[in-house]
Amino acid sequence: MTPQPPPHPAGWLAQAFALLGKDVRAEARTRVAVSAVGVFTFSALLLIGLATLTLKEVRTVNLLRLVDPITVASVEAQMRPAWDPPAKFGLLWVLLCFAAFTGLAHSFVHEEEAGTTMALRLAMLPQAVYLGKLLFNLVLITVVALLVTPVYMMMTGMPAGNPLLFLCVMMSGCGGLASAATIVAALAAKARGTGALYGAMGLPLLVVFLMLLINAANTLYTLHPAPLRVVRDVGGLLSYSVLLIALSSLTFHFVWEE
Amino acid sequence: MDYTTEEVCITLQDVAHRFGHRPVFAPVCTQVQSGQVLAITGPNGSGKSTLLRIIAGLLPATRGTVTITVGGRVQDAFQRRRFIGYVAPDLTLYRELTGAENLLFFARLQGVALSREALAALLATVGLRGRGRDPVRTYSSGMRQRLKYAFALLHRPPVLLLDEPTANLDRDGRAMVEDLIARQRARPDGVVVLATNEPEEVAWGDIVVHLEGAR
Amino acid sequence: MATLQRPSTTSQQPQEPSREAQQAGIAVWKWLCGLLMAYVCYGAFYVARGATGFTGGAGDTARIVFFHVPSAILSSVAYFVAAFYAVRFLTRQPDTETDVKSAIAIELGFLFCILATMTGSIFSHAQWGSYWNWDPRQTSILVMLLIYAAYLSLRGAVAENVQKRGRLCAVYVLVTLVPAFFLIWIVPRIPALASLHPPDTLFKRENTGPDYKAVLYPSFLAFTLLFIWMFQLRLRQVKLTMRREQARGYNG
Repeated sequence: MTPQPPPHPAGWLAQAFALLGKDVRAEARTRVAVSAVGVFTFSALLLIGLATLTLKEVRTVNLLRLVDPITVASVEAQMRPAWDPPAKFGLLWVLLCFAAFTGLAHSFVHEEEAGTTMALRLAMLPQAVYLGKLLFNLVLITVVALLVTPVYMMMTGMPAGNPLLFLCVMMSGCGGLASAATIVAALAAKARGTGALYGAMGLPLLVVFLMLLINAANTLYTLHPAPLRVVRDVGGLLSYSVLLIALSSLTFHFVWEE
Repeated sequence: MDYTTEEVCITLQDVAHRFGHRPVFAPVCTQVQSGQVLAITGPNGSGKSTLLRIIAGLLPATRGTVTITVGGRVQDAFQRRRFIGYVAPDLTLYRELTGAENLLFFARLQGVALSREALAALLATVGLRGRGRDPVRTYSSGMRQRLKYAFALLHRPPVLLLDEPTANLDRDGRAMVEDLIARQRARPDGVVVLATNEPEEVAWGDIVVHLEGAR
Repeated sequence: MATLQRPSTTSQQPQEPSREAQQAGIAVWKWLCGLLMAYVCYGAFYVARGATGFTGGAGDTARIVFFHVPSAILSSVAYFVAAFYAVRFLTRQPDTETDVKSAIAIELGFLFCILATMTGSIFSHAQWGSYWNWDPRQTSILVMLLIYAAYLSLRGAVAENVQKRGRLCAVYVLVTLVPAFFLIWIVPRIPALASLHPPDTLFKRENTGPDYKAVLYPSFLAFTLLFIWMFQLRLRQVKLTMRREQARGYNG
């Protein structure tokens, strides 16, 4: 055998990115998670569209009674579901939450089912495994959100509000979703849990996060919100993710190791 | 230059394991040093694989301790993993990736710079020359076993833990394994631990431990 | 682990008398708990004259507070007890008993959570006119119920490996500390979700008279003692069950 220099075990950051690269490559090849999330999301979009058909008519009737000075906006709104923007935003995130929970378990469950966890445990630091999977889930949910949000906005006429703030809220939303889904997926995979267990364990985490998101949406769609309120709401969202990630990375090796 | 020329020593002190309330094997005491091969035998269900996992630091023993020292320094359950190459039936590599991608991924994790030539040489060593670009799911079970050897040898570890070393292998494959074990034994730091029931392979061991299912 | 894994036949003999002695010694607080509870049940209707200051100006409906508020508080205290044992399990004592204690705290928390939800719902009907109106605290307690239920379903799913079950459950308790923290401290302060729950009615001097406090404070004590008692009973029951299963395992 050819002599080689002594191996330095790669640092945990390098390991995490190697795992991310592997997952992206495997996903590009099999497309299990992407197709699961994609099919789910677009069917859900279709269902939402169908289920809210009647809302338009109610709005039209209301319009006839209203003496609304902003006629252009109202006529446009007439074509679309008549919920207020925070409600539309909330429904978008309900959709993304459930979409996340159909696809984000895959990365861990697949390792467990394929029996590749042993090779990973031999070669990787537990924290790197956590970070790699978190990054992969973050990429996945961000891609889904990027695809779904424009379609949803066209369908429901959800306004963006302040574009910068909108982006901030959406990004921190993706972060929270990925951080909640990752640790729950790790637990569910080790419990050899079915999808039902995964959903049951994840939903309490997501319900609270959704409350924060809807609160942030209220701020987003307020005309000229106070800066303090913006900071507080986005900060609330971010701190939820940060706390979850901190607790998860502290406890992850208890889940991962025997 | 070799990876390490330091003396490696594995000591099993009163090691036993139980699943729930059911003991797997009676307590084991043994010691194996560089240049030696330890063969573990025993009937099915006597805990050979479990003992190998315990040695690898993948499973904490419910009783006793496994100590691995490299050059006199004790390695804990995490540190010892990088000194270990592990081949076992329940170890699986990624089916959706190719053989070469698998090896490059694990090389990155291990911090080994694997050049194209080194990769080709490694594949040739385990008899998979020219098959590196095929997805692992197209491999036969014997080829998968060979790929596991490539995975185990990636970082040229001083300790090889081989669970059923020749499972699914043909005559050539057996010769390859025997050759590998001989080379490992010739290394100044090499240690091999086998878990097997084949009399021919048990004969490779300098030390033989027979596990009895505990009652 | 050590005490639990001993075969039953050897360990039962020396432990039996010591437990009886223990019981005799501590029985006083159990009597106290019973007496206090009886007093609270009586006092809620015959000692306290009802409180003022609740929306709707109710006096008599506020009597349910004697049962509602202690259960609500216990339901979240139980969660922190579980988290305490979870941390202990992961860092110091990875033995089955610590894990079981954590699980029992969750079970009791679940029970008190259900009680608090039910009494709260009745109170809500009397005060605000509907059994459920998405008050933040009502939502919070619903999510707490979900967390408890999720924990118990996780525990059911990994019943086969005790160590692994302990680790997974402990991690889940710690991870759900984040939503619990937000539910207790952040969500009730979100202005958009303005709460109908009075934040300080009970603590204002003009609202509750000394007769009211004479029932409320013993009620807190009675419920706490009840919680400890139930905790001990359940722990003993689980230990006995485990010992019996172990004995069975040894006998084949």
